[in-house]
Amino acid sequence: MTTITSAPGTRRAGSQLFLAVVTLAFLAPVAWAVISAFKPPTDIIQRPLDLFSAGFTLENYQHMFEDVPIGQGFLNTAIVLVCKGSITMIGAPLAAYGFAKYRFPGRNLIFAAVLVTLMLPVIVLIIPLLLEMKQLDWVNTYQALILPGSVDAFAIFWMRQVITAVPDEMLEAGRIDGCGEFGLFWRIVMPVIRPGLAGLGVLTIMNIYNDFVWPVVAASSTKMATLQVVLSTLAQNISGHRISADYATVTGELLAASSVALIPLLVLFIALQKHFINGILAGSVKG
Amino acid sequence: MTATAAETARASQAGSMRRWRRSARKWLWPYLFVAPFVAVFVAFSVYPLVFTFRLSFTRWHGTGPAQWVGWDNYGYLLSNPAFWDSLQNSAVLWLLVIPAQMLLALAIALLLNNAALRLRNLYRVAIIVPFVTPLVAVAQIWIVLFDKDYGAINSALGLFGLPEVGWLVTSQWAKPTLALLFIWKTTGFIMIILLSGLQSIDPAYNDAAAIDGAGRLRQVTSITLPLIRRTLMFAVVMQTLAVFQMFTEPYVVTKGGPYSSTTTAGLYLYNHINRADLGTGSANSFLLVVIVMGLSLLFVRLLRPKD
Amino acid sequence: MRHISINRLAILVACALAAGSLAACGPDITADNPSASGTASEQIDPNKLQAPDASSPSGEITIWDRSGDLFEVFDAVIAKFNEKYPDIVVHHEAVDISAKLQNTLITGTDVPDGVFLDDAYVAGYVEHLWDLSDVLSPYLNDIAKQKVDVNTVGGGIYGVPYDLDPGLLFYNTVAIEAAGIDPASIQTYDDLLAAAKKYQQYRPSAKPIHLEQGAWLGQLQLEMYANQLSTSLADTSGNLRLNTPEYLKILTWLDEVQKQGLGTRAEYLTPSDIGALEAQDEVFYPWAIWFDFAPQQQLPKTSGEWRAMQLPAWDAGGARGGAMGGSSFILPKAGKNSGLAWLFYEFLMFDQVGYTAVYGPNAVYPGGINTSIPAYKLAADPSKPLFQPVEAMGNQDLWTIAVEAGQQIPGGAPIPPWWDGAVEYLGNNVQKMLDGAMTPQQVLDQSAADIQANLIDRQ
Repeated sequence: MTTITSAPGTRRAGSQLFLAVVTLAFLAPVAWAVISAFKPPTDIIQRPLDLFSAGFTLENYQHMFEDVPIGQGFLNTAIVLVCKGSITMIGAPLAAYGFAKYRFPGRNLIFAAVLVTLMLPVIVLIIPLLLEMKQLDWVNTYQALILPGSVDAFAIFWMRQVITAVPDEMLEAGRIDGCGEFGLFWRIVMPVIRPGLAGLGVLTIMNIYNDFVWPVVAASSTKMATLQVVLSTLAQNISGHRISADYATVTGELLAASSVALIPLLVLFIALQKHFINGILAGSVKG
Repeated sequence: MTATAAETARASQAGSMRRWRRSARKWLWPYLFVAPFVAVFVAFSVYPLVFTFRLSFTRWHGTGPAQWVGWDNYGYLLSNPAFWDSLQNSAVLWLLVIPAQMLLALAIALLLNNAALRLRNLYRVAIIVPFVTPLVAVAQIWIVLFDKDYGAINSALGLFGLPEVGWLVTSQWAKPTLALLFIWKTTGFIMIILLSGLQSIDPAYNDAAAIDGAGRLRQVTSITLPLIRRTLMFAVVMQTLAVFQMFTEPYVVTKGGPYSSTTTAGLYLYNHINRADLGTGSANSFLLVVIVMGLSLLFVRLLRPKD
Repeated sequence: MRHISINRLAILVACALAAGSLAACGPDITADNPSASGTASEQIDPNKLQAPDASSPSGEITIWDRSGDLFEVFDAVIAKFNEKYPDIVVHHEAVDISAKLQNTLITGTDVPDGVFLDDAYVAGYVEHLWDLSDVLSPYLNDIAKQKVDVNTVGGGIYGVPYDLDPGLLFYNTVAIEAAGIDPASIQTYDDLLAAAKKYQQYRPSAKPIHLEQGAWLGQLQLEMYANQLSTSLADTSGNLRLNTPEYLKILTWLDEVQKQGLGTRAEYLTPSDIGALEAQDEVFYPWAIWFDFAPQQQLPKTSGEWRAMQLPAWDAGGARGGAMGGSSFILPKAGKNSGLAWLFYEFLMFDQVGYTAVYGPNAVYPGGINTSIPAYKLAADPSKPLFQPVEAMGNQDLWTIAVEAGQQIPGGAPIPPWWDGAVEYLGNNVQKMLDGAMTPQQVLDQSAADIQANLIDRQ
């Protein structure tokens, strides 16, 4: 690290230039979408680069709020987020703790199940899972949106890395103090891995918030539609076969809806970015 | 002697009883800890997988009784060039994504792994923003940005006197365009993972190398990379899984076209399901599961340190 | 990760497979008893929907539409419907139909009572749908034959025909008249080719005829051309009839347009397409009536310059009408109040108040919705226009032109369930032909073989 700081000025300028270009490339599409949402629909399509000289309008937002149950979408997403998120945030570290700090017959086999779950393409399970929901009479219910995948395999894998790093002496000290096994987890491990948990939290929120494939299938009624389902309904209108006559209008609405959907997450992310990044740093495979 | 022997025996018996009681509890606890995961796994992965497996030997269109066809669906897929094309498309996407993304993420991470870098925080946040944005929205943005004649990308190329590119309308460019979308969306996350690897390196290594007069590039290739080899492989495995499971990107952006050039393994499978050909879809699911697992195991093996 | 033995993983997979071979569990896929609703009595075929006989029917229905302008139009008609049937509550939902309909029908949960659907998809769902032949029988003679035919599968009718979408030849009258072309001289596709040549001489940058670059829409347009020749991809019994002189004729013409550099290849109304249209480089657009939306909203520069006429004929004196696309309303058997949903669609399509509200001037379309015409002949009366002359088309009386073109549309055949899947073969191969990579005959041979093997034989 010190070698970089001692680098000559030209190299520092080169780094800055490179990073500036990358940053621009990474931010531009999002900025384009957010700004374009304020342009008249036909201009979005026909003059995509004309960001500021085109007229300013709230028309897209107005149409979007009229046509799209985005409030309902937010509400459903919030409910799923809270329930599924809580299950992940407790269930995953708990399982990870079991894997990281205990040796028991079947451990490797069960951990292999975690890896298998990681490797299963979502799309593979869509139809059988849907039929299962039918059997359970769960179609169009919150439990269908919440329970499948609630103890997330990636989260377990991730937390296992974090918890492995907790020194065993700490747990032994806890045992001597008379802590039960669950007490060890709850009162010693959980507080210690707080940075990792924070990272997991942001990651979990992001995953659930942006989840798309399963909710589209599992929630067919409008009253159950999550935010992403609402967005996809709009997108389908455009990308379907473009027969629908109002291509430009719907594109405008979609950009407006996307902006509205993006902003809470972006704000949350910027507010918590330190925790998130540190959390990922805590959980990643190192070396 | 005998008395003490008996005493010790009694004492050890009592101790083993205590130990036994404690170990009984100890024996149970880890199972309780992993129980929620196992419950969800059995209920929502194993059970549907079993059903998929059974369905893969039938012809069923979602209604009426299923008709048993034996290995017919598998035979059909394995002898169908379209199935192999879908795998090839995913493989090409993998080639387009992984090396470029790893290089880019590594370059950014190396630069950001410097506490004294100006605007470091801004860069860190900005580069991860795409990872936060909803994919459905991003995919739509891509369609508009990469339009052949009116897209902002080609307009920008025009400013530099470069010829316009048929990003989404030609089969040779559609895959790179999707790869760009994928790289744009996930590089921030990969960068942070690599950064974590870099931060775990003891700076003394590089200092020593600098004293030895090793150039910056030499330092990276001969010291840094070997030290973060596992982190790098972890990132590669993760992205390999993601690329071979890729579905939403082509589904929204290209619908698999032009000429099925972006029909990824996941999308090809979805096409069967969408056509209500659930038997073939299930057989395809199983083949895909086997392939993805095989690939992952291969990488896990590569990931093992050579010790 | 390094602790995981590959053997363990293999064991796990093996266990899963073994469990599968037991085949004792897994959701039941044999039970399938559509909850018979409606008022089917003993003697009546339980698959045929009957109209409710109550004098003041009541209940709730759920109707799915795709979001967008049509949704708003239908939404506005519900109030009118409730004036006639005050006790029927309509829940009108904008839904991603392509993603959800199939799954909903398979699970049978919260199935809507009525769904707006492209004609091309109806046949794929018939096992889940009411046969509407009994309820439709009073109206059948007055519904455009093509629309009844595309919804007919094995003798049953599975959709309430909504719109008829006659193909028309849209042309930029200002541009071509400046080139000395008389629109009235275009009677056949050969005439169109000649006119395009003439226009290109006048304006060398022009590629006057639209050649669709999207595979799906390209195939839809191909079916419009074929419909003019009274043929289609599948015959009435669902057999493939692609490798025919008719299709060869159409493809050869398209190939000719491309080879002579007379076609603008672009996807329908994408920015590229719009650019060529606005530059007067693309001046002939053989397309369904719904292209008229473009001059009204997407072509500000050339708006007012556009006109429509009947399609050219393939041979002098041949049919100048052909349908391209179109939608219907389907009623799933698992719907709770299918009978009431029928009343809703009956009102929308066959009641004068209803169809006037749909097609006539409304809040969304002050001049009436002019992107299609009713399939119901009593509504599609040349002398009683439901929508107004189109200002963006020089106040041309589009209604009369479209209705007359509609009357010329030959009957069709049911659109087979594999039509959509055929795009992967036929639709793509047509594009390859336009790329210069295939000959028309190769397109027919290759597509026919692939469609037969991958789609029809796997039904």
